Amino acid sequence: MGVLGWVIVVVIVVVVASVAFVVIRRRRRGGRVIAAKEKG
Amino acid sequence: MRLLMTASQIRGLPVVTVRGGEDVAEVRDVIFSPEAGRLLGVTLNKRGFLAGRSRDVLPAEAIHAIGQDAVMVLDALSLVAPEDAPDDVAHPAVERNVIGDDVLTEGGLSLGKVTDLVLLVGSSGEVVGYQIEKPGGGRGYIPLPAQLAVSGAALVVPNITEEFVKDDLVGLGATVDEFRARLGLS
Amino acid sequence: MESFKRSAGRKVLSRSSAKELGSVSHLLVDAQERRIAAVVIGRGKKAQLVEWEQLSGFGPDAVMVVDEGALRPPADDRERGATEGKLELVGKRALSEGGTEVGKLDDVTFDTDTGALVELIIGDRRVQAGALMGSGSYAAVLDDSAEPSP
Repeated sequence: MGVLGWVIVVVIVVVVASVAFVVIRRRRRGGRVIAAKEKG
Repeated sequence: MRLLMTASQIRGLPVVTVRGGEDVAEVRDVIFSPEAGRLLGVTLNKRGFLAGRSRDVLPAEAIHAIGQDAVMVLDALSLVAPEDAPDDVAHPAVERNVIGDDVLTEGGLSLGKVTDLVLLVGSSGEVVGYQIEKPGGGRGYIPLPAQLAVSGAALVVPNITEEFVKDDLVGLGATVDEFRARLGLS
Repeated sequence: MESFKRSAGRKVLSRSSAKELGSVSHLLVDAQERRIAAVVIGRGKKAQLVEWEQLSGFGPDAVMVVDEGALRPPADDRERGATEGKLELVGKRALSEGGTEVGKLDDVTFDTDTGALVELIIGDRRVQAGALMGSGSYAAVLDDSAEPSP
């Protein structure tokens, strides 16, 4: 594989890792303040 | 020790066991009862940079104390599975997130938008008021019981709340009793 | 009276054979009983524990173990955590039972006859060991008597 091929591989790895990172951080963020439903 | 903390300060705090000295989880969402004016519980994230959500929740009864740096529980058994927790905490009504809610008086005047919740913490969690962003910009605090009604979009408050918008937490703490007396609640 | 910091690195010998078995790397504490439960000798995979009861003496120059056979590998997760230094009290975050950080444990003193903890040193404050409610990898939890006055 030429240099260009390796560059593409690295870019793909970085993109996938970034997306995975963002997805996991988003899933856990929360920080909501929730008013419980009124009773009855 | 009792102190005033906002929900955003509580979010992200480690949940630490008194007996084990372990950080077993961290706080994700804060769930409160607007009518009872108290904290009902918190949902949890696992500890660690890339760790995700935790299925377990922490009802208020199981909290030993909330302080500036940690939420304390007696041991890891205090974290319960959703099926063993009160419904409000196990299945929080996420559409009733009050952050961003418009604060409207009965007369139709907007006092601002909710930016945070203010709690008096120690060994229990009493909700003292809301932090708001005023319509012209700038931060304000309004005391609880502030709302006649609350949804995920708006808080409706008594007209006299307009007189009780304070600039800082100290002002809020000082004003709560007077506000309640005015509403005939003391 | 002896301290955790001062006894780190102290030689450990077998009383029966006079053989040097290693040196003290950590002291594993039973927080509920506020005493030293075991001495950790050596580091990493080869680290071993010897229970306090198996010591014939904890002296200023050496820690004497009754017999080399008293040394054993870690038996559970907690003991493994101890050999990895995760439970070390020196340098541990000190948290009040109310959830406020009160500082860092700089040192801990103990009675060399019984292994009982005497004082927890946090900065320039000396807190009675009775204030210790629990300790683990994240923090040592102290009762509210340890909280600095407002």
